[in-house]
Amino acid sequence: MLVPEFVPQIFCSLYLPAIYTGFIVGFVGLVGIAINKSDIHVLILTDIVGLAMLIVVGAVGTDLAEALILPGLVVELAEILAISEILISREMRKKGKSSSLLPTPYVFDMEVMTTAPNFLSLLLIGYGIFLTGFTGGVVAGGGILLYVLSRKAKGLPIVLIDGIGAISGIAWCLWIVGFLLFFITPDLWLLSLFLAACGLLLKVASKMGLIGTLMREEFKRE
Amino acid sequence: MVTFELNIWFYTGCTLTIIGSLATVWGPGVKDPIVRTLNTEIPSVGISLMLLTYNHTLALLTFVATSVVISLILLRAITRLEEIGAEV
Repeated sequence: MLVPEFVPQIFCSLYLPAIYTGFIVGFVGLVGIAINKSDIHVLILTDIVGLAMLIVVGAVGTDLAEALILPGLVVELAEILAISEILISREMRKKGKSSSLLPTPYVFDMEVMTTAPNFLSLLLIGYGIFLTGFTGGVVAGGGILLYVLSRKAKGLPIVLIDGIGAISGIAWCLWIVGFLLFFITPDLWLLSLFLAACGLLLKVASKMGLIGTLMREEFKRE
Repeated sequence: MVTFELNIWFYTGCTLTIIGSLATVWGPGVKDPIVRTLNTEIPSVGISLMLLTYNHTLALLTFVATSVVISLILLRAITRLEEIGAEV
């Protein structure tokens, strides 16, 4: 068997049962999709097929497999969100009624929202930049989210929202360049590591900030 | 010395995943989309056990977070469809 030596022996013995489980689950999910006619039921069952994908990738048992699970999870989440929105907007057009994402208007009346958002978000963004990478992006993005949600009074102009999207795209390019450098010139590993880490930080942070800008429209609703 | 039996966790995870996926597709009451969404939690627990066996810490944490968010999105989508009056 062609297995690299750093894969533990026990994971090799677990490989076949895991792969069979993945195939069985994927088959069951696909049969369910084939026999169901309703769109929302099919959407729920694609979740099961996504789980089968996770098993097949995770069964390899290396760090690379773990690293490949993360984007798979995020893509699956985005896909389900997008498809459910499309389904709902289609039904809204058919029936001529509308329904917004949050069931009741949210009005946050917490003291921290008015007294200390500047300090707290600065702290979170600073710590996030210190951490870099995926985790740092989440922490810094949390800071941006807190700032955007607590400043409910004035809205950001459209140009700024587009600008955040552009930062996200540039950060994506940094990440890809970092990855490419890893393979082309392994001597520059430190540079490529930092390119990838900072790119991912900017990417995740700006995405979370974008979520905050979009969600604020919902929060302002009385 | 207590030996930590890895296979128990792994095969429990496999069994839960297979049974849960069968329950989601053909289980009782799955005509109701809310029941179907809640049934998807069973294979999620199974996968969590499998990821735990493989020591995939980051993947496990992200998976727990995303599966919660996915079930929230699906439940809200179902209730929104019912609010509009569409057939679910």
